[in-house]
Amino acid sequence: MRASIFSAPAATPSLEALIRLIVLLAAVALLVFGLLFPLFAMLVKSLQDRSGDFIGLANFVQYFQTPALVNSIANSLRVAFTTTVVVAGLAFLCAYGITRTCMPGKRLFRMLAILPILAPSLLPAISLVYLFGNQGVLRDVLAGHSIYGSIGIVMGMSFWIFPHALMLLTTALTNSDARLYEAAEALGTPKWRTFLTITLPGVRYGLISCLFVVFTLAITDFGVPKIIGGQFSVLATDVYRQVVGQQNFQMGAVVSVILLMPAVLSFIVDRWIQKRQVAQLSARAVPWQPTPSPLRDWTFALLCYSVAGIILLVIGTAVYASLIQFWPYNLSFTLQHYTFQGLAGGGWGAWFNSLKLAFSVALVGTLVIFFNAWLIEKSEGYRPLRQGLHFMAMLPMAVPGMVLGLAYIFFFNQAGNPLNWLYGTMAILVLNTLVHFYTVCHLTSVTALKQLDPEFEAVGASLKVPFWTTFSRVTLPVSLPAVLDISVYLFVNAMTTVSAVVFLYNSDTRLASVAVLHLDEAGYFASAAAMAVLIFLTSLVVKLLHTALTHVLLNNAQRWRQAG
Amino acid sequence: MQTTLTSPLTAHSAAKPLSPSAHLSIDGVTKRFGSFTALDNIALQIQEGEFVCFLGPSGCGKTTLLRTIAGLAQQTAGSLIQRGKDISMLPPQARDFGIVFQSYALFPNLTVFDNVAYGLRNRRSDRAMIDARVAELLALVDLSGSEHKYPAALSGGQQQRVALARALATEPGLLLLDEPLSALDARVRGHLRHQIKALQARLGVTTIMVTHDQEEALTMADRIVVMNHGVIEQVGTPAEIYHQPASAFVASFIGTMNFLEVTAQANNHALLGTISCPCLPHVYPQGQAAQLAIRPESVALSASTTGLSGDVMGIEFLGAFQRVSLSLNNTEQWLLADVPSRDSATLGLRLGQTLGIHLPADAARLYPAGSNQS
Repeated sequence: MRASIFSAPAATPSLEALIRLIVLLAAVALLVFGLLFPLFAMLVKSLQDRSGDFIGLANFVQYFQTPALVNSIANSLRVAFTTTVVVAGLAFLCAYGITRTCMPGKRLFRMLAILPILAPSLLPAISLVYLFGNQGVLRDVLAGHSIYGSIGIVMGMSFWIFPHALMLLTTALTNSDARLYEAAEALGTPKWRTFLTITLPGVRYGLISCLFVVFTLAITDFGVPKIIGGQFSVLATDVYRQVVGQQNFQMGAVVSVILLMPAVLSFIVDRWIQKRQVAQLSARAVPWQPTPSPLRDWTFALLCYSVAGIILLVIGTAVYASLIQFWPYNLSFTLQHYTFQGLAGGGWGAWFNSLKLAFSVALVGTLVIFFNAWLIEKSEGYRPLRQGLHFMAMLPMAVPGMVLGLAYIFFFNQAGNPLNWLYGTMAILVLNTLVHFYTVCHLTSVTALKQLDPEFEAVGASLKVPFWTTFSRVTLPVSLPAVLDISVYLFVNAMTTVSAVVFLYNSDTRLASVAVLHLDEAGYFASAAAMAVLIFLTSLVVKLLHTALTHVLLNNAQRWRQAG
Repeated sequence: MQTTLTSPLTAHSAAKPLSPSAHLSIDGVTKRFGSFTALDNIALQIQEGEFVCFLGPSGCGKTTLLRTIAGLAQQTAGSLIQRGKDISMLPPQARDFGIVFQSYALFPNLTVFDNVAYGLRNRRSDRAMIDARVAELLALVDLSGSEHKYPAALSGGQQQRVALARALATEPGLLLLDEPLSALDARVRGHLRHQIKALQARLGVTTIMVTHDQEEALTMADRIVVMNHGVIEQVGTPAEIYHQPASAFVASFIGTMNFLEVTAQANNHALLGTISCPCLPHVYPQGQAAQLAIRPESVALSASTTGLSGDVMGIEFLGAFQRVSLSLNNTEQWLLADVPSRDSATLGLRLGQTLGIHLPADAARLYPAGSNQS
């Protein structure tokens, strides 16, 4: 072969291997310091007394001897179970309407059904107080029962957990094999039997997974019970009360450990189910298409739009409440609640902080999480490290926000911790939020990466191209839709979350969601509603921008995605 | 490196290594996945400029061996020497090879030009040189004018050729092809087979191709490495592999082969039922059970029924010849014989007919009884 003009390799392989190892170690360090060590610090704290001496399980003994605390376990379980039944039932019917009927306006319904995700969980609670509270227009519907307590909690949680369940069940019900239904029809099987023998078994994994997701979200939620729980205490509010109200950090740690258990349990069950769920559908499955059936279609349309109506009513109530002088005595229009002048919570500064947090988490989190998933999925060597990283990436799903936030106090606020300087900065809020919502983004990344040809990296290596070039020129552009999904997910969650960050802000880093809490606590209900609406609108705008951007990008990418 | 800058090679059966110097020496390479041994002590020399095929059924270890050569899989033991340099422990980036995968692995978001230039860009060659090189490569694979298309707009065969151009762009010393044709339909496959072979002969680049398709291996390779269960069964030219299979496995895997149960006899004979047939020299002691292998096209049929004979139980029309299934008369065994179409008229071939059978000694080979067949 003639003397090659293309012979100077740009990167020496040993350097490349070294860089690969360094970033892998950095990724592991991120989750060790951002997740494992704080959790460990919390476990240790639950076994210490106030002066920091080891006292074994004495705190737990004390916990179980205090009826006011133990009651919360039963309360939490009751509320979570009820919410699970309500949400899963409704979401199943609506998902069935979307996927298995010809009901009109499916797209509009799906858009409306997503709205609750864009609001902090505090928003429905505030609206419910306006609707069913002592001054509420619909108070009489409750027939003398108070909205403050388990009824309000279940209603508020159902509102904001509903979209999660709907998305999971829609996905599960979309996978169908028309051939099975045709076979059943050819055999003269009645409709109800087809449903029991084909439809239900087909979605059983999705359904079980949905039940556990809903249950976990319900038992760990803090926002709804905080606003509307009244005297009805649950585990999440107990953590807050012990730490913020009574400065009893040890007992806060004990409640956290107890709160961790159902979440870890449902995490384990969910993982176990995911493992068993191997391609139920063969590649040759023919998707089932519904045929029009007016009675069924309109029944489901009625049901779905009732649900959509309730969603709009709840959001609309918050918007309305934020725009009038003083419910219910002075209904004239005003924008004064949006000035937040002289009130608790930090006002527009808090909103700016939230924006800063959300953008930082979206930017940093997307890159870090996607790149880490790439390291796990697409690189060779250091198998134990990569497996350990994957395990740690799955863990945050099992850690409730309250627990993670408290764990951060224990770890980062320790005297003598070299990372102590982080405490009270925006950086710790970014780190905490990134870790808090790590798992879903990780799974989205892994799914996107698994769809790529497994040989891209091998081709790059054979052409002597360093791995970061192949990552930036091929892997990242091809996975762009998933990457955008991750970034908007992180943005919205950073905007709306309250549970973890409620322990970590300081006077310079107040957040909008925490401001809602404080405005409500201080009795400025209209301003609390205004702040919640502000968060909702911010998320909505970003979500719409994301949709538009995705649309444009996909249109451009159409050049190579489709033939042409 | 010497190149044969001539038109495509037509015959390959006589192909000899173009140079006595070894391009790649594989020595004692073993690869285990847990308790499973994918490669067992593989030793092989590949000469400069040679086209070698790894052939075998799926799971025989051929792809693992290719990936080990590329550095995409790390061997458990053994060494690899490429042009005198020990590459055993080097990562893929530090080895000198280009690779084409079964899936092509073309970058979907890059144009044909950018795909081919992918390895050139990195070397900071100047733009004009890259343009010229890409144009040259696309001309080589008959795709001039497709520079600005995206892979999704190309047919499977075209995508495969882009992958080939991309692999050749950086002038690797070794070209690795991992089942490059198996995703294509039969007609394109035949055409591309010829094109790849011609290209390889022109460039003189040492090439290793993995395939499970024996026809592909026979038509393209200078030498074939037949593998089974992680070991090399035989290395040889296509003619050697076909005519002198080293084991019953190779005999059965390549082409069609009759296996008859016989008893070995002295003086290079074998007892088939009650009839003693001459065969190629063998080492089996008198009286030992063995199997006699003979290709259907070597079996001669005649009207005279003295000696070995059989009844025609089936006739399959295959165009140029007819494949006749015979039930042997003095032993309960079956035999396939290929009769050229013009001979079948002379024989008056029909079902139920009894025909004399001659097994030429130079085409009858003995293998151990019950030995491995595919």
